[in-house]
Amino acid sequence: MGNNKIENSTNKITKKDVTKSMWIYYAGAELSNSYERLQSLVFCASMTPILKKLYKTDEELSAALKRHLVFFNTEGIIGAVIQGITISMEEQKAKGEDITDDAITGIKTGLMGPLAGIGDAIIWAALMPILISIFLPFASNGSAMGGIMPLILYPLITILISYYLIHNGYTLGKKSVVSMLHGGKMKQIIFTANVIGLIMMGALSASYVTISTPLVFQFTSGTQIVIQDILDSVVIGILPLTAVFVIYTYLKKKGPNYNRILLSVVVFSIICSLLGIL
Amino acid sequence: MSVLGISIFMGVYYWFSRLRLGYTFSSMLLQPVTMSVFVGLITGNMELSMKIGAGLQLVYLGVTSTPGGNVPSDPALAGCIAIPIGVLANMSPEVAIALAIPFGVIGVFVDQLRRTTNAIWIHMADNYAEKADTKGILRAAFLYPAIAGFIIRFPIVFIIDYFGVSAAQKIIDIIPQWLMHSFEIMGGILPALGFAITLTVIGKKKLIPFYIIGFFAVLYLELNTMAVAIFAICIALLLGLFKMKEEVV
Repeated sequence: MGNNKIENSTNKITKKDVTKSMWIYYAGAELSNSYERLQSLVFCASMTPILKKLYKTDEELSAALKRHLVFFNTEGIIGAVIQGITISMEEQKAKGEDITDDAITGIKTGLMGPLAGIGDAIIWAALMPILISIFLPFASNGSAMGGIMPLILYPLITILISYYLIHNGYTLGKKSVVSMLHGGKMKQIIFTANVIGLIMMGALSASYVTISTPLVFQFTSGTQIVIQDILDSVVIGILPLTAVFVIYTYLKKKGPNYNRILLSVVVFSIICSLLGIL
Repeated sequence: MSVLGISIFMGVYYWFSRLRLGYTFSSMLLQPVTMSVFVGLITGNMELSMKIGAGLQLVYLGVTSTPGGNVPSDPALAGCIAIPIGVLANMSPEVAIALAIPFGVIGVFVDQLRRTTNAIWIHMADNYAEKADTKGILRAAFLYPAIAGFIIRFPIVFIIDYFGVSAAQKIIDIIPQWLMHSFEIMGGILPALGFAITLTVIGKKKLIPFYIIGFFAVLYLELNTMAVAIFAICIALLLGLFKMKEEVV
């Protein structure tokens, strides 16, 4: 589907319309997010420039709008491909092809889960912390570049991805996703992003998790043992690394109980300060 | 800028960044490290502002990457309060971070309030759809949640920042040494939480050795972050190449 569009249609969806739809979704993907139907409102809003062009009577337009107010939620960057596919399906439907409401909703709900998984892994879990961490040393040294660069680069890169995906989804239709999900290419990208992300996190941990002990044992013979020196001679950075993995293990076992960990760190710090251990 | 002006600016900033206008743009705008650029500009102390922002960023690195958009802690509220107060009261980054933590927790409830009120607009949109009113749907998706968000968010930051600066200065003067030192310890440990969260979202257990490589590349090989980034990208691309071949065979 999608490749044999009728060229002389007066209601033809232009590239500009598709891009406009992308911008509406990008602008508001989280803005109107509600517990009840999550991103359905913004998805419907993003379809308005398309639907207005395709459906001329109020009844048809109303039906189409309602079709897109059903539950929808995905990752907003990678999810742009769903928009592209939906636009092409709506266009076929408006031209009188036999596409039911259920077919459109089915495609949307079928794709939103897997694409959210891919999007979260690439856009949020990898790209964002990697960009922040590359420029973080600037910030630690008091330079504004540490904040300005991620603020420019992150939106820029992700908007380009969205732009590519929505147009790809529109012109190739379902095929665009099939190749994306089954080609192994996505796995490849996620793997690459994960490896870069993990190495960067390791490097940053070494610089910014700073834990050392002031403990010194004084013997009557005059010799003293500095505990931190002993630890360093075994493995440098053993205390920071231990801290990361203790919290990591807790998170893995007990789930993301963020506030309890925060509280524990506070209590632990006060006790160690009073005892003079750290 | 006066304390009044700064408080108004931060209230608006909190509202605007949490409005989430622009999916990835706003999510970067609400990070402490970008927020501190603006705080640096209005307070005139860029250096301290960036240092506090960087320290706070480490605590919240990874928070935004939690799947499903459910924030377990809010870096925006924490930053909008702790960075300006920290800069104006001339706090060390460690103390400012300790100040930020409780507000990060409160921010979660504010966000829940937003998502609950947002349910009102979707029902309005249902009515607009019935009438084929596309402009109404756009209003329900953008304008109404923006207005409601301002009413919910602006006052919190404005009031705390406005009254907080003088209070913070008084408190700093009477903090005992042992508590000061606890803050320093906390400032050293809390980034570990940020990294641990990022580890759980990025990776499968099998990939953890890559984290260890990065860690000791800095400590033993004494590479800086940019050097590590370059090597990391090369290693990842090369490994991807081998991995692909294996899967094909």
